[in-house]
Order: sequence, then C-alpha cells, then structure tokens
Amino acid sequence: MNTSLRGKYCIAGVGETEFSRGSGRTTRAMGAEAIRNAMNDAGLKPGDVDGMLSYHGGDSTPSTSIMYDLGLRPNFYMDCSGGGSSTEALVGLAMGAIEAGMCDTVAIFRSMNGYSQMRIGGTGVRAASPITGIDLMKRPYGLISAVQQFSFTFTRHMMEYGVKNEDLAHIKVAHSNHASNNPKALMKQRVTVEDVMNSRWIIRPVAHLLDCCLETDNATCVIVTSSERAKDLKQKPVYILGVQGRGTKPGGDFHYQHGPASRVAGYYVGPRVFELAGVTHDDVDVTGCYDAFTYTALLQFEDYGWCEKGEGKDYVKSGTINLGGRRPNNTSGGHLCEAYTHGMNMVIENVRQLRGTVDDYCPQALEGIHTYDYSEGHCRQVRNAEVSMNMGWGTPAVGSSLIMRR
Amino acid sequence: MPSYEYRGQQINISDADTEYKGYFEAAAEHRLVVKKCLDCGLLRGEPGPGCPWCTSLQWEWNQVSGKGTIYSYQIVAHTVVPSFRDWAPFAIVLVELDEQSGQPDQYDGLRITANLVDENMEPEKEENVAIGKRVEVAFLDGEDGFTLPQFRLIDEPPKGTVWQHQI
Repeated sequence: MNTSLRGKYCIAGVGETEFSRGSGRTTRAMGAEAIRNAMNDAGLKPGDVDGMLSYHGGDSTPSTSIMYDLGLRPNFYMDCSGGGSSTEALVGLAMGAIEAGMCDTVAIFRSMNGYSQMRIGGTGVRAASPITGIDLMKRPYGLISAVQQFSFTFTRHMMEYGVKNEDLAHIKVAHSNHASNNPKALMKQRVTVEDVMNSRWIIRPVAHLLDCCLETDNATCVIVTSSERAKDLKQKPVYILGVQGRGTKPGGDFHYQHGPASRVAGYYVGPRVFELAGVTHDDVDVTGCYDAFTYTALLQFEDYGWCEKGEGKDYVKSGTINLGGRRPNNTSGGHLCEAYTHGMNMVIENVRQLRGTVDDYCPQALEGIHTYDYSEGHCRQVRNAEVSMNMGWGTPAVGSSLIMRR
Repeated sequence: MPSYEYRGQQINISDADTEYKGYFEAAAEHRLVVKKCLDCGLLRGEPGPGCPWCTSLQWEWNQVSGKGTIYSYQIVAHTVVPSFRDWAPFAIVLVELDEQSGQPDQYDGLRITANLVDENMEPEKEENVAIGKRVEVAFLDGEDGFTLPQFRLIDEPPKGTVWQHQI
C-alpha cells in the first residue's frame, strides 16, 4: 500500500447552496454557486482552479457548462456517474490527477434537484420510466426506491443479531439534536424515539418515515489541492490522511447472490483506510457515517469496527455518537436532518469541524470561538477535533472512506 | 423490441437482451430458469453473461424446481409506484432456491426477488411472511404475453431459522 501521499494533499475550500425543497433554479445555477462559495472560502480565483470533478445520476449539469459560468479553464475535468460514496472516492481521484501532473487544484461538486426534479426517493420520473435491464428483476415487483433496494440486508441483520427497529431511532434522535444547532439544516426540530416510532411506516421492518433521509435541492463543493499550494490560501488546510473507494462487496449489484447478506462494503474498506491513514479508531474524534436511512449508519458502524458485529444497537445508544460524546456522528444532522446531498455535506461538515469553525449559533463561530453548549439552538463544534472519518455508502455493496486531520 | 404493460408500468425487453430475455421467455412457458456455466457447471442466480467462478462466457438456460426458502423480505407499507398503491401493504421476498444452496461458498445461493402472493395472486397476508418459510414459484400471466414469476407459500416444514418481525 502506497502511504507516501499521506498528508500531501488537503481540502482547501468548501461550499454549498441553501438546502431547500423547491430551489426554483437549475442544477447549473446551483452548481456554479456552490463552487463559487468554495472558491471564496479557500481564497481562490478562477485562474487558480484548473480541475473539476463531479458525480451525478443523469440529474446534474456537466462541468463543461459550469466552467463557463465561473470563468474556469480546467486542464482536467471528469463528470462521473455516481451517488453516495462518490465524494470520498473523487477526493482520491483529485489527488491522483494532481499527482499525475494533470492539474493543480480540483473543485469536486454535486448538484441535484433531488426534491423538485428527479426525486431521490423514486417517485415521479424514476417510477414512470420504462423498465429494462437489471430493473426487470425488481421493478415489476414494486421494488424501486433506495430504502427498498438495501432493506433485505437489514432484515437479515435483524434476524441474525436481534436488533429491533426501535434501536435505529436513536440514530435519528442524535442527528436531530445536532441539526437543531445547524442554521442550514432542513429539519431542525429535535425528535424523540417515540416520534420516530410513531411516524408512518415506509418499509417494514426497517424504516419509518423518520428513519429516511430528506430529499433536497442543493449543490455542494469541496476543493482539493496540495498542502504546499494551500500554505498561502485563506483557510487552515485540512489534510487528507487516507482515502478509499468505491470499494465493493463480492457480486456488486448482485451481492445478494453471495453474502453474508448482513455485511456491507465497509468491512473491506475500513482496514485499508485505517492502514493508509496511519491512525486507529481511538484517534478519530468525529465521524460522518452515511445516513441515507438509520439502518445504513448502523450497518456501517459495525462493519467499520466501531463496535462488534451485532452491537451497533448498543453503540448508537451509548451516547458515543452524540455531541458531547466520545465520537459524535454527523454533527450537521447528516442526511436524516440537514439535507440529502449524496454524501458531500458530511465531508464539508468534518472539514469545518477540523478547522474549529463550524457554522452553529455561537456568535463568533466563524472565528473559532464556541460555547460547547450543545443544548438546542446553540453549539455543535466538537471540542479540539483533530481527526475525522467519513464513511460513504453507495449500496450495501459499495462504500468509500476518508480520514482527515487538521 | 417487445414491450408489455404490467400494473401500469411499461416493460421493454430488447431482442438484444442477452441477460433477461430468455428468463422471461421461459417464464411465459411456466418454467423457472437460471443460467448454467458450460465449463464449471455451476448455476448462477443472476443471469449475467459470465461465470462469477470461472469467467467462462459459455452458458445455457437450466430449468430449476421453482422451490425455495424465504431468505429475506420487506413489507411495502408505502409504495412510490402509483399503480401499486392498491396492493400495499404487500411483501417482496428474496427467495433462495433449493438448487446450489450454500454452494460453492457457505454464503452463496441462487436468490431471486418476487412478490409473495396467495392462491389468487394477491399479496400474501403480512403475518404469514417469514424468513425460513418454504415457497414455490407461481406464474402470473398477463394479457399481452408477459409472464411474471411470483412465489407462494407451500405446506412444507421451514428450512433453517424462522424469523418474522413483530406485527
């Protein structure tokens, strides 16, 4: 394993648009704004950004349009088909492009009207399209949405390890508490386990409505450059210690043909990213574990080794993942409460955590002065956060991870 | 390209579809088939072009018994597909076929997705859906020549652990 790039590259800028349900504008307009915000955050001018990477599911605007809107002239760009777990993988590809001499600074973006246009939940355009190819084995049976596609994994897990649906609700509660201290979050209201259990069922036995993420219109961006280049930029660099992805389970899309069904890709990704980064679980102060649904977070906590397999239910109830706990998870509220962005908001949040400038309700938050009062409407900065870890989820069979240090 | 309609959904199976066309042609004859590798002889539950175990591209369709065991399931309480609303709540099951169960690796199996239906081809009652219960294929014939393999419970002792969620 090539560890020579450890710390050689960094995230120099981050940015996003408003998170909304009805942006009233194009993915092009949102993409341009998110990239511009990240450039301003980093203190970069158009001539300084000569690489672009994006991921999409046929629901975005290509780099070749947005480069015009911001006066960029990339020496390298690529628009990849992707979804969850793409952010982390593209951070690695950006490092590779720079290392190969193809460019110097890369803006990675995702732009999506995931609520008002091509709905992420599967309604509308997605459910109305003709059924062909691998969908022939699923959609004629009413199997289409993401919560359904992944659910066989967690039903098996419930059987094998005795986890109850109620155990999952604790993840939503923690993330909702975090979101209550995030002015950007779509759903700021704190919820209880009872609220989750009383919300209507979507798919039994794995998900109530409040176990599901929030379809959102938004664009997000992170900018990767060398740590050397970042020295004279505006922000303290957040160093990339290790990145992996998109790593897979045997079988890819057809992973149910193999197994074990209750295992997810993090089982394979985790050991590699820790070795590459040169850190251990104990070194990590804050996590970003992909919460498309509460169960995706629980499955990943286990297979990345934060607890033993089957003990995720105790891990999420122990207080560890809460602000004020040993290792808070998704301090922005994540996909469940801040916004569904296909993973990039969780990387952005961890960059801000490591800078010490999380945009909470503390009056001097952006200067790095926080109260550490985690009650509703106050602080969400993790005290003295040094190392973060993101765990991106594509499907049960696809995952990525990114470990960063301040 | 043959095009069908099922529950308000348009189903297109291209003449050049090397994966699924034969599967649905066999279903129209009320035969459940999987692909068999002509080199190593292993069956595969997903009808892809290559053998996951030996990479051979030589295969033939192989009829299976149609009997199996519920390996996992989901009860769709809320569907995003408008034409399925009158069916909800309904079960989607992942069925492990009897053939090649636990082979060649202990976690391997031929697993296919379907609805669990009753004798009238309507959704089976939720309280009857459980991992470990025995099932058999039942073919749902559409009016335009499209046949969809479904599964029904059969009166056989369960296989392995029986598990269902609390209702």
